[in-house]
Amino acid sequence: MNPDDLKYHKEHTWIRLSGKKVTIGITDYAQEALGDIVFIDLPEGDTEIEANGEIGEIESTKATSSIISPVSGRVIKVNDDLTETPELVNDDPYGKGWIAVIEIDDASELDDLMDSSEYAKFVEEEAK
Amino acid sequence: MKLAILGSGPGGYVAAVRAAQLGAEVTVIEEDEVGGTCLNWGCIPTKSLVSSSEMFFRAKRLQEFGIETTGTISPNFLKILERKNRIVNLQIKGIRNLFKFYRITLQEGRGQLISPSEIAFTSKNGSHGTVKADRIIVATGSRPFQLPGFPFDGKQILSTDDVFSLDAIPKSLIIIGAGVSGCEFACIFRQLGSEVTILEKLPRALSTEDTEISEIFERELKKRGIRLLSNITINKVDTRDGSIRVFLTDGTELEAERALVSVGRSLNSDGIGLEKVGIGKGVGGEIIANEKMETNISGIYAVGDVIGGHMLAHVASAEGIVAANNSMGGDERADYSSVPSAIFTSPEIASVGIRGQQAAEMGIKVRTGHFQFRTLAKSHIMGEIEGMIKIISDESSDRIVGVHMIGPHASDLIHEAVLAVSKGLKTTDISRIMHAHPTLSEVLQEAAADVHGEAIHAQKK
Repeated sequence: MNPDDLKYHKEHTWIRLSGKKVTIGITDYAQEALGDIVFIDLPEGDTEIEANGEIGEIESTKATSSIISPVSGRVIKVNDDLTETPELVNDDPYGKGWIAVIEIDDASELDDLMDSSEYAKFVEEEAK
Repeated sequence: MKLAILGSGPGGYVAAVRAAQLGAEVTVIEEDEVGGTCLNWGCIPTKSLVSSSEMFFRAKRLQEFGIETTGTISPNFLKILERKNRIVNLQIKGIRNLFKFYRITLQEGRGQLISPSEIAFTSKNGSHGTVKADRIIVATGSRPFQLPGFPFDGKQILSTDDVFSLDAIPKSLIIIGAGVSGCEFACIFRQLGSEVTILEKLPRALSTEDTEISEIFERELKKRGIRLLSNITINKVDTRDGSIRVFLTDGTELEAERALVSVGRSLNSDGIGLEKVGIGKGVGGEIIANEKMETNISGIYAVGDVIGGHMLAHVASAEGIVAANNSMGGDERADYSSVPSAIFTSPEIASVGIRGQQAAEMGIKVRTGHFQFRTLAKSHIMGEIEGMIKIISDESSDRIVGVHMIGPHASDLIHEAVLAVSKGLKTTDISRIMHAHPTLSEVLQEAAADVHGEAIHAQKK
């Protein structure tokens, strides 16, 4: 269910690495837990963010929740489609529901992240 | 006892009625229409605009509620103003009727103190005279503050009063000042379809509110497509045919059809004879009055905006009652310990008591409880799920010392909190009393319970 080519963070975000850039989104588990997403407060382009820091905020009909960045770096692109259609995150969390692209400072931060099977186990543990 | 009151806003007219109830022979001197800023340019007309803009905003959501529509809906600003005028006129009539009932004399004209027991007046038609009184209450209020370099022209550079003379909804609007009025007008015009940009020199919108509340509000602005530029300084303004251009010191250039300046208010304490009688004023021009509403001159009281402070209609009215009672031999003090504030933005914001950041500054140890409106069934039923409530209680006594909310009907919901803060109730006093289900009032019960981690509908780890 969780793609194998991604890395996962314990705050239920994922990253896809491509050179020095990573794409960030929230996991299928997170979107399922949040329910219908009604608004995403996207980060501004060109802002510096820190690993484990807030990159934005998601509002669903049930809850509001911070989006935590797994990596440090600079936001170079945000998914503007989510302004009008935030439900893309529900429909396609690993695809059209991506949130931002970040140019990373320190690739070694990625080592702290989980792979898909570790994340699956982590979610299972958390649910207990 | 003869009492003369200068000004008939929510301070003056309420004082007049109260004093008449106590048997005073009251004369109110008013140069404009009764009701003051509140009724003619402030609270009442703006909230009428809020209602029209909300109605339009909701009408666009009819399908969501299962209502099919055909044809288009669109706002007509002149008709919106007509409705506003009907409401205002009804309230004006109401005050005039109260005056008749209580045999209060309304003297039209601009009044000026000429001695501690006399007010001279000149009416618009040139007639003049003097009102003699044993006691005087000054309730002259305030007016929009003119920003240097931004002279109001009533057409392109508007004061908050000028909004009611517009003949159409501006396509684009720059609002200078993200205070209460600026944010209210931003929501009104955005909901009516304007492109709205707010400029604020401070780091936050509604900077006097609890930080958590203003953060949520800023997100709501974003959600509604209102652009907020904070921490800015204006360098230059340029009006030309049909548009206004604002240049910021950081190089940003903005253009809009009109600009609305909403950066505070100037006090009406000049030209009313205060100097002649020797009434003391503070550095901001405010009349200095004590908690009994007494000025330094015996027998002369002052209430409302003109004494500075909260600058709220309900505070002026409360002060008016204190002044009236004291002028008739009472010995009362105004109580400012639980003044509610209500901001009619979308969503509404309301608060009472201390703010989170204040508790830290004051060194008070507190607990906080939060609850989201979207957790309530009633919010979903109404289709208004935005917002949050925060309750601050004193850590040792559990007494509620501050309540802050943003969400549907916050301005009505706050009053249970006002009672709690005013009477020193504990969080358990609120969490253990029944709140009818399903109602929005459940946010208070749950937030009070959340102070001790006991909210039923919150999942906290």
